[in-house]
Amino acid sequence: MPGKRTLDYAAYAVFIALILCAPLVLEEFWLNRIAKFLVYGLLGVAIALSWGYAGILNLGQGLFFGLGAYMMAMSLKLASPTSLQQGSATPVPDFMLWNAEPGAKTDLCCINHGSFLWTPFQNPWFGIGMAVLAPVLVATVIGWVMFRKRISGVFVSIIMLALVLLVRLVVIDAQPLTNGFNGLTDLGNLTVLGVELDPYEVVTYYVVAGTLALALIATRLLVETRAGLILQAIRDDQNRVRYLGFDVPLYQVFFFAVSAGIAGVAGLLYVVVAQFASPTFMDLSFSITMVVWAAVGGRASLLGACIGAIGINIIEAGASETQALVQAWRAVIGLIFVLVVLYLPRGVAGFASDAADAVLSRFGRKRPPAARPASERVAS
Amino acid sequence: MAEVVFIGLSLASVLLLVALGLAITYGAMGVINMAHGEMVMLGAYTTVLTRIYLHLDILAAIPLAFIATALIGYAIERVVVRRLYGRLLDTLLATWGVAILIQQAVRLELGASFFGLHIAGLGPGLQNVAVPPELTGALTLGSVQVNAFRAFIIGVTLLLTLVTWLLMYRTSIGIQVRAIMRNPRMAAACGIDVDRVNALTFAYGSGLAGVAGVMVSGFKTVFPDMGTPMVVDAFLVVVVGGVGSLLGSVFSAGLLGQLNGVTAFLANDIIARAVVFAFVIAVIMTRPRGLFSQKAR
Repeated sequence: MPGKRTLDYAAYAVFIALILCAPLVLEEFWLNRIAKFLVYGLLGVAIALSWGYAGILNLGQGLFFGLGAYMMAMSLKLASPTSLQQGSATPVPDFMLWNAEPGAKTDLCCINHGSFLWTPFQNPWFGIGMAVLAPVLVATVIGWVMFRKRISGVFVSIIMLALVLLVRLVVIDAQPLTNGFNGLTDLGNLTVLGVELDPYEVVTYYVVAGTLALALIATRLLVETRAGLILQAIRDDQNRVRYLGFDVPLYQVFFFAVSAGIAGVAGLLYVVVAQFASPTFMDLSFSITMVVWAAVGGRASLLGACIGAIGINIIEAGASETQALVQAWRAVIGLIFVLVVLYLPRGVAGFASDAADAVLSRFGRKRPPAARPASERVAS
Repeated sequence: MAEVVFIGLSLASVLLLVALGLAITYGAMGVINMAHGEMVMLGAYTTVLTRIYLHLDILAAIPLAFIATALIGYAIERVVVRRLYGRLLDTLLATWGVAILIQQAVRLELGASFFGLHIAGLGPGLQNVAVPPELTGALTLGSVQVNAFRAFIIGVTLLLTLVTWLLMYRTSIGIQVRAIMRNPRMAAACGIDVDRVNALTFAYGSGLAGVAGVMVSGFKTVFPDMGTPMVVDAFLVVVVGGVGSLLGSVFSAGLLGQLNGVTAFLANDIIARAVVFAFVIAVIMTRPRGLFSQKAR
């Protein structure tokens, strides 16, 4: 009889095999949709890492997603055919022309104040790099300040919530640089290493699915390292770990930044697949929706949160075929969410894990009674 | 300059009006009620429905909205919140679910839209509320022209704050609420019916939100999503003021309202909101317990 951990790994293996084989049965339209949902799954992984393993409920994960998305979108905007026809030697985004300083030269250097910031994004690798680096840097700085000051629990949530709304407003206000409310649209395809990532081609799907598989494996291995174990100890009792001599904020900042980086990659991939970036990525409701996915799937399980995000979105896509059902589905989501918080605090993954325990113990292997799962205490 | 101050005061009064109920539920009960904004929204819809079905104006809607939202708040406490005391972040998540349910209930006209029926005043569309003639126009205070309805809101806010203060500090139920706030178990040991007091407190907080909704409906469009930004603002007011401090909430609403008003005057509305958020972050970073916090036990 296999042990619990073997079962757990098997679940990862089955899931990864499933997403990698999906193109064999799905047509392109659905492949594009599923690719989007896999990106949401990646967000689920980021949430589970910071919420389930670090005990940090980040209500502003959309900030990192949005940053990643905008960084990538800037590169893709410059690669778009709409940017290449503005009568300039180098591409200039069309909306900058509408927001140009009077009499300014049509060039990224000086068409309006700050447009020079776009110049390096002509190289797609710069966009890709910044999509990961910018969220990581922001998370490191914010995390450093917060965790050094021993801010924790709900106050971290509030700070991140206020921060994502703040950045959203700044992005909207910087109309000449970001196209404000409209966001960046009409993007080109990302071309790297001579491969053009058309969102409706199988290759794009494989890039997304491959990234998700890698992220799942990497984060799973990461939380099992010594640092990951210390992180979980910090989640359960910060002071005890501090008295044991560990540098608590260091671990918190590191995992906070990793989570931000994953969210940034999710933003990057979302732009590649969906071909737009918009300030709505930094709406409060989107950030909370991500948390909902993770909570339903299982906040303490990387795979659970990931499947939660994908599953909810697949059902939602199915329901959105009829208009009345869309609204009803939102109500159902609200209801599911209340019920999950009340009766299934560890989500579907927690339920599956309990079921696995029951099955394993039935087959005669004497197991010590499971310790009270820490995840139930995390939130309080 | 006096006009800018008045605009700030008027913004602050709306903030305080919405935050007052939240200050009680969050401050006294340790529940982050994300459905608070939906209580505001329901209060606003009560105004709309009162006009359509009872042909009464906004003044008559105030007590009706208070009763309606207090009852709904009572139900939410009994069914959902009661099971979550002590799990602060879980209350946030569960009430977010409740908030979605309430929004959808309004949008789907309580389910009637599935049967092709239409309830006037509900549904996904926008609703408008007319302000009665005696509250329109401008008052002249000294040298400043003041919008009459805004002045009315400030008056109502002052009145409700006073009532709440009296309830909390001059009545026996207020003493019980404050005892629970300090230490629920000890309060229970002293013979306070914690369950009942909690339910009533939550209902009162929701009722205040309903009244806030009536006021808001006088100058804002009424629609199902209107509550979400309000609950965020109100929540930040409470956190900045210090959890559990009524005076702190009053002070921080004034501060954030003026900050918003003055920055909007100097730059624009978007930047003003951004500055408010930045200020809130700075306060929480330096004083996580808020400007006027009580010593926790």
